[in-house]
Amino acid sequence: MIAAILTGVRLHMKQASRNPFDLSGVVVWPILYASIAYYLLDAKHDPKLLLSASLGAAVMLMWSLVVIASSGTLEQQRWQGTLELVVAAPTPLTAVIGPICVGGALVGTYGIGATLLWGALLFDVPVSIQHPLAFAVAIPAAALAVGMLGLIMAATFVLYRAAFHLGIATQYPVWIVTGLLVPLSLLPAFVRPISWLLAPTWGFRGMQEAAIGGTPWPDIGMCFVLSVVYLAIGGTCLVAFEYVARARGSLRLT
Amino acid sequence: MTNTFRVVFVGGLTSYRALFGWISPWIFIPHTLGYPIFEILFFAYLGRFAGVQSDQFFLIGNAFLAIAVTGMFGMGHATAGERRSQTLAALLASPANRFAVFLGRAVPSILTGCIVAAMSFSICAAILGVHVDLSSVPGLLLATGASAFACTALGLCLGALGLRGRNVSVFADVITACMLVVAGANVPLHLLPAWLQQISACIPLTHGIEAARAIANGASISGTLDPLLKELLIGGIYLVIGLAMLRFFEYEGRRTASLETF
Repeated sequence: MIAAILTGVRLHMKQASRNPFDLSGVVVWPILYASIAYYLLDAKHDPKLLLSASLGAAVMLMWSLVVIASSGTLEQQRWQGTLELVVAAPTPLTAVIGPICVGGALVGTYGIGATLLWGALLFDVPVSIQHPLAFAVAIPAAALAVGMLGLIMAATFVLYRAAFHLGIATQYPVWIVTGLLVPLSLLPAFVRPISWLLAPTWGFRGMQEAAIGGTPWPDIGMCFVLSVVYLAIGGTCLVAFEYVARARGSLRLT
Repeated sequence: MTNTFRVVFVGGLTSYRALFGWISPWIFIPHTLGYPIFEILFFAYLGRFAGVQSDQFFLIGNAFLAIAVTGMFGMGHATAGERRSQTLAALLASPANRFAVFLGRAVPSILTGCIVAAMSFSICAAILGVHVDLSSVPGLLLATGASAFACTALGLCLGALGLRGRNVSVFADVITACMLVVAGANVPLHLLPAWLQQISACIPLTHGIEAARAIANGASISGTLDPLLKELLIGGIYLVIGLAMLRFFEYEGRRTASLETF
């Protein structure tokens, strides 16, 4: 099972890294969002704000890639008629779909490099990481947690053939409520408790605190805790929704 | 001529009805409306945080982006969808006018885009507390129509690329993303570098958004004729380019037998 998961992550990362067209999207999207933030914030006097914006844009991409990878892959398998084979295989569906989500999130880490480089070259954003070790741990921790959150989403994708559209629709709401570019203090009060439940909040905070100086370890710890919780919820949902999809005979419908 | 209209309208209606055979309205409507609503709110709050421009600035810019998305993706997906379902070769073997075939598939999604833009505009205006005078509605509709035309024309170019390449959706996605910055939807044009301002003057949506913002601020239609005409002119140029590309890539697709590659 562990071999299946590791191979799955490696395979999906390689697949996602093969197509230059797809990769261009991976690089361009976070750069554009970071650019909008740079132009609007115009924070030459506060370089930390721009560094935060870079990291926020990168985590935005991470979430997008998780939903696009998981929903897109399932949709692709529906079209190719291989989804039933994947479901019928003895390997648990969680071990097949989980790596797709985590692989997508790890591809999203390209965005961190892209936005930091873009910011440094064009907007003079100083790239100085205060806690390099914590930053190095925060990135995979964020990818894991965001990927596992995607697993819960993916469970619904098994059930609905319009999975891709459902996935895309969750991008902006998650970007808003996790405070990636807009501080949560500006949003209505009810948003804050929601943000605590979502991995991008902690993943971003972990990277931000590690980069600009602060206490990143509690946020990194929350990423690991949430990953376990998401895995339990996502795994259970996948089993339940797989049963419903089998009962309805809807796996193959394109 | 009658045949062309039949292909546009009957073909388009059939294609649109087929959409709901694939996706439930219970998913389609929240998805189609939810995306632009949250996009507008995201950028409006970012604007508030940055302390630049008003909520109205982001409301209009992003509502118009919703039109761009549907216009460009409607045309782009028209060919990409046929390729994916392996019907592109059969479709191109038919004697029907190509432009009519693909326009028929795009028109319903463009109309949906305009309705979605209007609804998300109204909902977000209520959420953000933005007041737009009723007298400006006709002018806004005019700007909407001009922008929808220009974006669809650009979408035709992307759709033509779909006769040759497989990943036109990703490309359309990147173009839309660039419009977030370059078309002035979220970043005031004067903040952009000069070379980027020159590009923004040549792409769809820039002048449409400019006209819409002026109209919402009280300008008359006659006072915004200049940007409206520019938007239509840009649309016309992209339409001509798109038609030429459609012809060229169909010829290339037949010559290299690449129409069914996926």
